[in-house]
Amino acid sequence: MILDVRDLRVAYGKQVVAHVPELRLEAGQVLGIAGESGSGKSQTALALMGLTRYSGGVVSGSIVLDGRDLTVLTHRQWREVRGREIAMILQSPRAALNPTMKLGSLFERTLKLHGVARADRRQRMEQSLSEVILDSAILDRYPHEVSGGQAQRFAIALVAALRVKVLIADEPTSALDVTVQSEVIEVLRGLRERHNTSIVFISHDLAVLSELADHLMVMRNGSVVEQGATEAVIHDSQQDYTRDLIAAVPSIRGRAL
Amino acid sequence: MTHLTGTELEPAPTPDLQGEPRRRRPALWPGWSVATRFPLLDVGLVLAAVIVIAGILAPWITPYPEDAGAAVHPESVLQAPSSAHWFGTDIVGRDIYTRVVFGARVSLGIVVVVLIVSALVGLTIGLAAGFFGGWVDAVLMRITDVFLAFPAMLLAVALAAVLSPSAFHAALAIAFTWWPWYARLARGQAATIRRQGYSDAARVLGAGPVRQLVRHVLPNASTAVFVQMSLDAAGIILTAATLSYLGLGAQDPTPEWGLMVAQGQSLATTAWWMITFPGLAILVTAVAFNFVGDGLQSALDPKRGQR
Repeated sequence: MILDVRDLRVAYGKQVVAHVPELRLEAGQVLGIAGESGSGKSQTALALMGLTRYSGGVVSGSIVLDGRDLTVLTHRQWREVRGREIAMILQSPRAALNPTMKLGSLFERTLKLHGVARADRRQRMEQSLSEVILDSAILDRYPHEVSGGQAQRFAIALVAALRVKVLIADEPTSALDVTVQSEVIEVLRGLRERHNTSIVFISHDLAVLSELADHLMVMRNGSVVEQGATEAVIHDSQQDYTRDLIAAVPSIRGRAL
Repeated sequence: MTHLTGTELEPAPTPDLQGEPRRRRPALWPGWSVATRFPLLDVGLVLAAVIVIAGILAPWITPYPEDAGAAVHPESVLQAPSSAHWFGTDIVGRDIYTRVVFGARVSLGIVVVVLIVSALVGLTIGLAAGFFGGWVDAVLMRITDVFLAFPAMLLAVALAAVLSPSAFHAALAIAFTWWPWYARLARGQAATIRRQGYSDAARVLGAGPVRQLVRHVLPNASTAVFVQMSLDAAGIILTAATLSYLGLGAQDPTPEWGLMVAQGQSLATTAWWMITFPGLAILVTAVAFNFVGDGLQSALDPKRGQR
């Protein structure tokens, strides 16, 4: 068990915006969290990263990552965890890159921050870039010189190089067009196979989730409405809401899932 | 015009129906397109460069460098412009051309001091306020408001009374009332930047507050700050000239333009050159820096076409 979450609640004042009774993730597994805007899926992700406090949210319950309870960590301890044990990739890949910094500089500084020795950095960067099928020439570019798909693959390479145990991907494909989406999913699949990284994949798009996720969790209005193996949730859903979400997936060849 | 050279039998090249954009000749210098589209910026940059270089080279390009100080030449008092004294001489016989050129050093020195002090103080306070928000923001910005309420003149009078009136003290007085504008600007920038995706990304990768401020917020706020600095240069020159005109800034042997105007004022009808040339120096410098500031603002504005 790499991630074990119990009775997680995120509250802003008296308003509980997300409640997850149980979330378990084994090493190398992918958990998909589905739900529409406002369902609490992004707040759950922020809670797992320890970031709700910056927007005023309060987390209760327990989040155990590899045997260590994260909810009791100080700011300083959290900084050690973020980027080393757990990391996140964001919805708008290009906006997530500082426009004044070359990608290589960003990559190297991040590795340095997390204690990768200078001698190993170059090799680590090149290896990770090749894993996401990017040429290392991209290290000399500025963010405005790369495409959205390249930027997202770069973000995944960065996470791969950091050897985090858990990656949270919050709508990582939603800002990309369909062909680029499948590239990103392919790259995430490779990350999990090579480094046994566990992934929490958040999306409103069940078609995308079902490509990668071993388990699915469906959220609505802050609560979990259904949870189980992907196959079971998709093909034998017990909930009207999940069926609505499935029906909402556009289909080209008559059958999307 | 290659297709009109006599080879008319050759079929004309097929028009490209794909609508491929016309290939532009690669510019020799990448900044060329910017330079041609903002002529005022170019004028300003050239003028400002001339003024800066003149100030730096002052001892070598003036005929009487000793006149920049406390020299007295009773034999050549109040001479009209001539080939020996291009801008005439002042009431103690010093060459005004020499003093105007040396004056660039004083004015630019004041500008540099004011800009560095106000940008340093303003950025530190403003970035912290905008980045941390909450009570840090409230406290820092209320302090800023207090400083903003001080009129520069009043402060300069007080400083001149407590310390001694000098160009450096005038610069400090101006900086004292100038930095709050930088604090406000930096606060706005920081508050925007900390909500950008790359700030979130830095946070989820474990960057601490200092790293975020120095590596992410500061570089991205710097464009706005540099534009503001170039816009402010003209205002600082005018304020400094006003202060020394009023006797609150640079004192006599210093070749300060505002002071020179003040010295020539009572003789304006008999020795017009004493106020005209330092006055022109103030005007041209202020205009040059204004052009640079306005030009930079338009050139860096993403809404004005491609970069």
